[in-house]
Amino acid sequence: MPITTTRRRLLAGSAAALALPAFARAQGAVKPRLTAISQWSAGSDGAAITALGKKFEEKGGIWQHSPVPGFTTEMMNKLRAQIIAGDPPACSQLKGPEIAAWSKIAPTVDLDAVVAAAGYEKVVAPDLAKLHKPGGKWIALPLQIYSTNMLFLSKRAMDKAKADKPPVTWADFNDLAEKMKTAGVTFPVANGGTRADDGQKFEASLAGISPTAYRAAAMNLDKKALEGPEIKAAFAQMRKITNWMDPNVGAQPYAINLKRFVDGDMGMLIMGGWAQGVLRNAGFKLDDFVIAPGPSDNGKPVFLLNADAFIFWQRKEPDLQAGQMLMAQLVMDPAIQTMYSQITGSIPVRTDVDLSGEGWSDGQRRTAAALKDAVASNQAVLSLAHNMAQENGLTAAMIDVFTEYAKNKTITPDQAVTRLAEAVEGSR
Amino acid sequence: MTDAVSTATRPGWPATSDMVRRLPEYLMIWVPLLLSAAHLISFSIWTIWISFTPSTLVPVTGWVGLRNYNSVLASRNWQIAFDNLLLFGIAFVLLSLITGLVLAILLDQRIRGENVLRTIFLYPLAVSFVVTGTVWSWLLNPGIGIEKLVHDLGWSSFHFDWLVNRDMAIWTIVIAAIWQSSGFAMALFLAGLRSVDTDIIRAAQIDGAGPIRTYWRVILPTLWPITITVVVVQLQFAISAFDLVRALTNGGPGIATQLPALVVYDLMFQRSQLGRGAAAAVLMLLILLAVLLPYAAWRYVQRRQAAHA
Repeated sequence: MPITTTRRRLLAGSAAALALPAFARAQGAVKPRLTAISQWSAGSDGAAITALGKKFEEKGGIWQHSPVPGFTTEMMNKLRAQIIAGDPPACSQLKGPEIAAWSKIAPTVDLDAVVAAAGYEKVVAPDLAKLHKPGGKWIALPLQIYSTNMLFLSKRAMDKAKADKPPVTWADFNDLAEKMKTAGVTFPVANGGTRADDGQKFEASLAGISPTAYRAAAMNLDKKALEGPEIKAAFAQMRKITNWMDPNVGAQPYAINLKRFVDGDMGMLIMGGWAQGVLRNAGFKLDDFVIAPGPSDNGKPVFLLNADAFIFWQRKEPDLQAGQMLMAQLVMDPAIQTMYSQITGSIPVRTDVDLSGEGWSDGQRRTAAALKDAVASNQAVLSLAHNMAQENGLTAAMIDVFTEYAKNKTITPDQAVTRLAEAVEGSR
Repeated sequence: MTDAVSTATRPGWPATSDMVRRLPEYLMIWVPLLLSAAHLISFSIWTIWISFTPSTLVPVTGWVGLRNYNSVLASRNWQIAFDNLLLFGIAFVLLSLITGLVLAILLDQRIRGENVLRTIFLYPLAVSFVVTGTVWSWLLNPGIGIEKLVHDLGWSSFHFDWLVNRDMAIWTIVIAAIWQSSGFAMALFLAGLRSVDTDIIRAAQIDGAGPIRTYWRVILPTLWPITITVVVVQLQFAISAFDLVRALTNGGPGIATQLPALVVYDLMFQRSQLGRGAAAAVLMLLILLAVLLPYAAWRYVQRRQAAHA
């Protein structure tokens, strides 16, 4: 009997000991903790997320970030493994339509209350907001925005061609490229040859020719639009672009051409805004190149939107829940978005951040202005090449067509249109 | 491992039954064998099951029949990959066989420095395929590799752009794969050549056969079993080739050098289409079986004949 009593006492004692922290947690004394995974490990991306972690720790949290270097898909493989094991991170990087797809395989956190408290919905572009609330509720928060169709012009190549302003339409672009060619610029276009690169050449062509056709074909996969004349025109424009490129580029990334680009041996680079950060990290000066919105035939800027975001996975641990709320508040904070974008070269998600001050470049100001104009004229569309318009499987099937077309110059625009429509049908 | 074996067979131990004495040996062989067999079989069955489900991001239950197979077989990626596999498999196996045999015959001439040469030819086998692929991708790149070297030497019309030429790119994989593994064929052939009874060779010489005739009529026919082993080993490498291609061309230019293993990886881990990826993996398994089953049958027949003789 005495033994049982002791045991009972012991049990009661430990129950109280267990309940105590829970009580303390209820009082808000729990230390917020966040487990997060992302692909951002090095360079300006790594620096930016480390800075975000510092802010998290300053607010009294415990920051546990495990980067998975490589492509986004590598990070997804880890996320998949963790979800299957029943142990998802409190928060992970994820973007575009993948947010909706992944939210079906594991429960996510309802962020509506914290988003409403911050008045965040008013300052986010509507198309972008939609991606982060797939079931009508906010489950993910966008962090930063890039445009994938910025046009970088080499100052020295422009001098050779005696050009003083960036081209506005595709016709201007083609003229300038011809001029550069005759003026001795070896390759008027400086792109790389990765899959995403080839996809960007197509999406920039199509969106510049007709943002309406882009929305119907690339975003809504409308069968008629996919076989429409704009698609054929876009493939024809893309062929011109590939003819001005260095054929030896193979499957190498665009970054290997940056020196030849700055030297004026190559003329124009169609690339996301992140190339600015890469150029500056490589030691080139801001007056070595000019940044302009990508060509648009109706004269108004077209913005191909690419936004990084965090999705929040449901966890039972009170410290992780507190960490999620703290993280959500930080990600929406204008000061944090400013800090983040100034490190990576992107622009903030919030449309009410003032970019006129110190720390922002002309390129970033021009990008933000382009976004504002594009939203006003309904010409802000979601990037296909960077997985914002469709889920991975469909995107990859479409990029197969673009990358084969870029490398095989015997494929005609007509054949490419048929193949694209077939690729979409085959992976629906 | 050597420890266990040596204690088991150490002389002067108390006499125990044979089974107990040899227990470590049994454990050493059967436990890993059963574990790997269970591993292999259970995951194969699991993959086959997944290939009939509508799984995308994560494995799910459900039945879609042959839908995944139809979709993989109809995709351009798979068709290109299959054509490439035929071309690569045949070219690589034949050429590495010939290169290995020629090297072995040349080394067989009792030349000086044979050991050094043998090491040099075998050395590529010790290098990882990723390293081979990366090094060859630099050598074959027209802008920085062999083409540039020859241009700089003064032959400016020289042209060697196979790596970025979509019709020829598959041959760059053949070149790199031969460089890597013809040493393996050479080593096996050399062992075969050395094991030929010298009396037979002498008899041939006494009969007046020259060296070429001796090789062609007397020595090479004894190499048949080795040739078949080399072919089967190289073929299964060709079918499952992944790391070399990924480092060398990554399926490019465009999708011109796709191979089945790349398609499987791409579907499963890049496109998040587990069901289709599993279907492509099962198709690969079927191709492998098409090579291995005839080989197993041939071995069986050989053994039966040997037993009867």
